[in-house]
Amino acid sequence: MSTFLFAVVSGILFGVFFSLMAIGLNFAFGVMKIVNLAHGDFVMLGAFGAYYALSTFGINPFATMIMEIVVFLVVGVGLYYGIIPRLLRSDDPEMLSLILFFGISQVIEALATLAFGTNPVTLPTNALGQLSFQLFGQAFESSWVISFLVSVVAIGLLYVYLYKTKMGIATRAIMANRDEAAASGIDVNRISAIAFGIALVLAAIAGTLTPFMLGGIYPSVGVNLTITSFSIIVIGSLGNPIGTVVGGLVYGLSLLLMQTYLSSWANMVPYVLLILILLIKPSGLLGKGARNA
Amino acid sequence: MQSRFRKGTLWAAAALSGGMLLAGCGTTTSAPASGPAKTKSPTAEISIGTLYASTGSFATSSMPEYQGLQFWINQVNASGGTYVKAAGKKEKIRLVSYNDQSSAQTATSLYNQLITVNHVNMLVADFGSVLTSVAVPIAQEHKQLLFDQSGTGTTFFTPNNPYIVLTSLPTSALWPTSLANYLISQHYKNVAIVYCENDFDQSQDQTLTRLLAKAGITPTYNNAVPTSTSSYTVILHNMAATHPQAVIELGYPNNDISFMQALQASGSTFPTTFTIFPGQLPSLFEKNFGMKGLNNMFTYPAPPLFTVQGVNYGMPIAQFAQAFKKQTGSSPNFLNVAGYNTGLILQKTLATATSLSQKSLRQAVTGFSGSITTLDGKFQINNQGAQIGETLPVGQFTVSNGKLKVNFMS
Repeated sequence: MSTFLFAVVSGILFGVFFSLMAIGLNFAFGVMKIVNLAHGDFVMLGAFGAYYALSTFGINPFATMIMEIVVFLVVGVGLYYGIIPRLLRSDDPEMLSLILFFGISQVIEALATLAFGTNPVTLPTNALGQLSFQLFGQAFESSWVISFLVSVVAIGLLYVYLYKTKMGIATRAIMANRDEAAASGIDVNRISAIAFGIALVLAAIAGTLTPFMLGGIYPSVGVNLTITSFSIIVIGSLGNPIGTVVGGLVYGLSLLLMQTYLSSWANMVPYVLLILILLIKPSGLLGKGARNA
Repeated sequence: MQSRFRKGTLWAAAALSGGMLLAGCGTTTSAPASGPAKTKSPTAEISIGTLYASTGSFATSSMPEYQGLQFWINQVNASGGTYVKAAGKKEKIRLVSYNDQSSAQTATSLYNQLITVNHVNMLVADFGSVLTSVAVPIAQEHKQLLFDQSGTGTTFFTPNNPYIVLTSLPTSALWPTSLANYLISQHYKNVAIVYCENDFDQSQDQTLTRLLAKAGITPTYNNAVPTSTSSYTVILHNMAATHPQAVIELGYPNNDISFMQALQASGSTFPTTFTIFPGQLPSLFEKNFGMKGLNNMFTYPAPPLFTVQGVNYGMPIAQFAQAFKKQTGSSPNFLNVAGYNTGLILQKTLATATSLSQKSLRQAVTGFSGSITTLDGKFQINNQGAQIGETLPVGQFTVSNGKLKVNFMS
């Protein structure tokens, strides 16, 4: 029983973290209808940022997180203006985005390999704090709990942005219909650029937490993280950020329960869930046949 | 939406696989640089074909092994070549190598390419059992002798396949012998084992559990995990729930690192905790966990952590370490030694074989098996090509006077 409870609680902690990791990918898709296949590589860069800041300069991961929020926002906005308006003018931006971002992913991985080498690196798990967390008589790593809390706050702030701010309402209008939003006077490019920046900021925050949740990091880990994120948003609902939270929880719980009871099959979870969802409910668990903001 | 999404998914899959294939097809040659051979030539130069992984989960191990092989080639070519008995003279070595990016699928097509397009004289496998597993049937089908550097999975070595020789590590079936003896000598009753699902680790688990069973020990936990596993916390929690006296983790370097991170985070301690690769890549593990993290950890120490006595072929470890550092600027680890050792076996094969036919190469290896000792240990193969001359002791890291030391337990 204690093993089951440990797996369930761990699954929830991991699930919310996975939601954070995937939500930026879904957010960018929802606003721009593009699939950022380099999403996992941005998560990887965020993770290496945390590693080098701590190991080289002794900077706390939370301080790194704040710095990365600024840097990734700027990079995201710059990247948007550099490539996405052109992409959106093409006949099939969704398809072309796959190729373009796959290329960007390869470039990032190659540059990261040159910069960081091929060896996996880790951070001491007490770098996020040494508080112990007890639930149901089980002790959980403080880094997991802190990562969970940070994920909840980040996802919550995205929700507040989308539903309680003018820019967020404009963003939702673009998600509903880009052309109509432009016709109603919304500066579509500016709002989309900020949305893309926010998507990368969410990837960076997840990246800062990744060494504490997923173990060793290395330059090529980005592809795996993109696949995991992609599976989660399909499970939840493509284009629906709230669906990503559900997708993350389903994924996290399934993964950790499998690790506990059928460990050798654990890594098949994302693919099995992906296939099941595509067969049974292609629009995702929270899908309504249309994208929701 | 649905059809667009499905179309997108197909595109994503195609882009990922196509890109991986294209990226893996970058040919490099070295020492000296020239284009790939079109036909086997017994007189011009000796072409050696191999794969390496510059990215992905095996890069950590593959690159140093490849570096060791390159070091040997540079040494040989700098001295005017290696003696080739079939040609009756010294010949230079040309390396034809491709990057498989740690992907077994990519490696499959590249091994084929080395044999059927590049027509290499000698075929050398990439690091480890995962990337070697795909080479074994290809080499057998093409009747090309595979010099298997470190793919130690027992399933590779079968009576009906003469086209494989394991060069630089004992077969996985032999690895856990010293570990099992140590656990039995400690009179442990509760042993927990987690191993990765690949030939290398599965073979070890089978041997270990068999030897423990003979001593009346049944592991309280013995489960497999995918080789790509990166989070061990839940697994470690489940192992700890069985109150083990010894916790054994059998994986590749990335697995060992993730396992040790989970161990450190959990604060759990056990009388014996064992992982494989700290003994082969101590500096990598020290960088990640510090001396404190390695203190009391059990492992298989390998050269240069210990010195093989009675070396009668190639450089002894001290000389190798000096020359390697001079050439590359870094101190060697075991995988550098393994790559160099493969070169020595190739060298001895060329010096012994009466022709460059694959059967003749294999006969030559059988002929000198058991008669040479390199810096890696005694080279001896059984009739299936598996290395049985080398042994891996069990050692425990300890910190003494601010230095990391290994105490040998067997």
